[in-house]
Amino acid sequence: MLKVIPINDNIRLNYIPMDKLKTTSMGMYIHRKLKKEDASKNAILPHILKRGCKLCSSSQEIARYLENLYGAKFSAGIGKRGDDHLLCFEFETISDKYAPRGERLAAGVVKLMMSMVFGSLDEFDKDSFEQERANSITKIENIINDKRIYANYRCQEEMARGDSFEIPRLGYVEDMKALTREEVYAYYKEIIVNSPIDIYVCGDANIRELEAEIRKGIEGFEFKKAEMPSCTILRRNSQVKNITEKLNVTQGKLSMGFLTDMKPTDENYFALLVANAIFGGGAQSKLFNNVREKLSLAYYAGSILDKFKGIMMVNAGIEFDNFEKAYNEIMAQLDEMKKGNITDLELEASKGFLINSLTSYYDDQHSMISFYLNEKIGQTFADIDQCIERIKLVTKADAVDAMSDVKLDTVYFLTGREEQ
Amino acid sequence: MERIYDKLTGESVYYKKHESGLNIYIMPRAGYNSSYAIFGTKYGSVDSEFIVPGEAEATKVPDGIAHYLEHKMFDQPDGSNVFDRFSKFGGEANAFTSFNMTAYLFSATRHFYENLETLLDYVQSPYFTKESVEKEQGIIGQEIRMYDDNAPWRLFFNFLGLLYNNNPVKLDIAGTVESIAEIDEKLLYKCYNTFYNLSNMTLFVTGDLNVEKTLRIIERNIKNNEPFTEEIKRIYPEEPKQVAGKYKEQRISVATPMFMMGWKDNDVGYSGKPLLKKSIEMEILVEMLFGKSSKLYNELYDEGLINQNFSFEYSPQIDYGYTAIDGESKNPEAVYEKITKYVDGLRESGLCEDDFKRIKKIIWGDFIRSYNDIEGYAHSFLSMSFLDISYFDYFDEYKKITFEDVKKRFLQQFDNEYCVLSVIKPE
Repeated sequence: MLKVIPINDNIRLNYIPMDKLKTTSMGMYIHRKLKKEDASKNAILPHILKRGCKLCSSSQEIARYLENLYGAKFSAGIGKRGDDHLLCFEFETISDKYAPRGERLAAGVVKLMMSMVFGSLDEFDKDSFEQERANSITKIENIINDKRIYANYRCQEEMARGDSFEIPRLGYVEDMKALTREEVYAYYKEIIVNSPIDIYVCGDANIRELEAEIRKGIEGFEFKKAEMPSCTILRRNSQVKNITEKLNVTQGKLSMGFLTDMKPTDENYFALLVANAIFGGGAQSKLFNNVREKLSLAYYAGSILDKFKGIMMVNAGIEFDNFEKAYNEIMAQLDEMKKGNITDLELEASKGFLINSLTSYYDDQHSMISFYLNEKIGQTFADIDQCIERIKLVTKADAVDAMSDVKLDTVYFLTGREEQ
Repeated sequence: MERIYDKLTGESVYYKKHESGLNIYIMPRAGYNSSYAIFGTKYGSVDSEFIVPGEAEATKVPDGIAHYLEHKMFDQPDGSNVFDRFSKFGGEANAFTSFNMTAYLFSATRHFYENLETLLDYVQSPYFTKESVEKEQGIIGQEIRMYDDNAPWRLFFNFLGLLYNNNPVKLDIAGTVESIAEIDEKLLYKCYNTFYNLSNMTLFVTGDLNVEKTLRIIERNIKNNEPFTEEIKRIYPEEPKQVAGKYKEQRISVATPMFMMGWKDNDVGYSGKPLLKKSIEMEILVEMLFGKSSKLYNELYDEGLINQNFSFEYSPQIDYGYTAIDGESKNPEAVYEKITKYVDGLRESGLCEDDFKRIKKIIWGDFIRSYNDIEGYAHSFLSMSFLDISYFDYFDEYKKITFEDVKKRFLQQFDNEYCVLSVIKPE
């Protein structure tokens, strides 16, 4: 169902037709290898590009342009998927058939997207650059605001020491401060012709018309063929790291990082996916039913898999004094998994949970785009139905086997007072 | 069933008022892989004092009980948890309590009818014991603590505390650790038997489904219910026009100060089409005043007073309403100064008709777009229905709104005497 139209050596247009929704979504993704020296430049760049281009010279003009397209939505930002540092430009418009005067809304959006990325002005505006630099620094500092996210972030950061994955998605405050306008502009000029770029369109569009708009947008550029950043999973051979941090909070946040030794391309990957769902994914899981329901230790307790780096994160919000109880229960449940103490209901319900969420992607354009993008970055290139079939085939023995290599790497605890 | 049709989008919804008193809506959506059902009661955190139909005395219950009750609905008489039953059929179940409603829901990509039967069954089967009620204190206690550390949540409740002197919307939905300690099984049954009477409830079902078959299954699963013949009297304290305070500051370990400011709406006390009209006028108005193309937004951004975390909303209810603007700023007081001055300036100079015309286009797009996400749609439909509004009237009301209407509404809503500022500062 995904139709790939190569534009040139670097740029791929990916079309996912979907006419049951009333909108059409679009995204342009520039893939960069995660590197310390580029991280801050990558993080600030989308925000500078959204400040004006040849088509619309200021933020206010861009806003008016989008409003005239019946309020088309737009956001720019930076993503990190494994070792891929992704510059993202995402748009959504109501589909052309709902335009009251037959306006070509999708083409209008693509025109702006191309101008924003390829049609920048001859230099970056000085004031805009300073504002976006200040905002980018604020964003880095704000990681601490949501303690639930912060605990998980800190745990991953500790796990990734020495691996390129430790480079933060939003870059570094010090590097941001040192960036110059000229330096970022030169970097921008270099990477737009020297990076793999994926453009996704999901919805009801005249794709040939959009393709023509894209080709028009890159006229006059010379591209240098670039490779996709490669992704490796995290492996470490050392003792478990224990970290406790103190902040003025009323609830403790426990975050535990596990290494799975599993790549998304591995034969047994889907077994790990199912095993993680049984362990801590959703309301049918062991963590939910034991840490929360049986022992009343937490309101939230669950595990998530980062397939690109082969890590599994367990997070729970608990009373400070319950650290040991929660830690022991989480490890006990992992042990249950490894021993194969999994009921048929747990297995089937967890597969159902995964299948349900994959199937629901068909109703959401943003999820569809994100799914195919992840398949590309993970080098697995499957579609949704293929994933569902693989999940169905997973047996209890497969799930136990996939869990057998999972080992604890880092324990992070955010607490509100001194240890007693 | 009665069919209601929307010409613009080609969508239909089917409605029936069942003899039990339950309002049933079925909205088929061809091609969707997920189906969704939401079963809601017009009962939220603000309903702590009420007169049960047939009784003479008012009943007062502890704060947070509607939310507590929601948690306890998941327990089954056989000791199992209702999540297990949904899991068996691949349904993903959840529930939530807001100020004005409590709702139970699921989404599923298969076994829709089995999941629907499960939903109908458990919401109509309360089972509370002393032990099970006590067990929940720990879980909800942790939920309350989680929110204590949540800066946006604190910001919001401090804001409501400034706007309202007495209206219970200013109280935390989950109550406090102290108030929930007073909750026992008897109180839960009392609230259940009052607010979960089917004549106070609405079911909305949507997805790629067969209307007749769905209705049959719903009707088969409705338990015996004696509908109330008179309404449940909800007792809310008198709320003066004045705000309770102008400024509140709290320190939490965040990196950048956060602000929420806004205006109290004193034009309240009505529901239905007039409320719908007011809320669309306000949607247009706040976008004209504070949207990304507005002069104000661009000045604030260019002066470095705000960043991209900036949003605004008007919130309509029958007994209260407010406009809220929130964001991050190194200098929240300066943002407040600038915005209130801008509003005062516009009261003198007037709004711009070109802005009105352009912004009306966005509302068109947002209306079309709202049909995409069937879950979000179901939520909007349900919460509007509790305000006696049919979502299908939206477009007709939208078309009627003139620049004159919006100008009048602006003068009425944006009076800085009723404007407050809540701030979270770093420690």
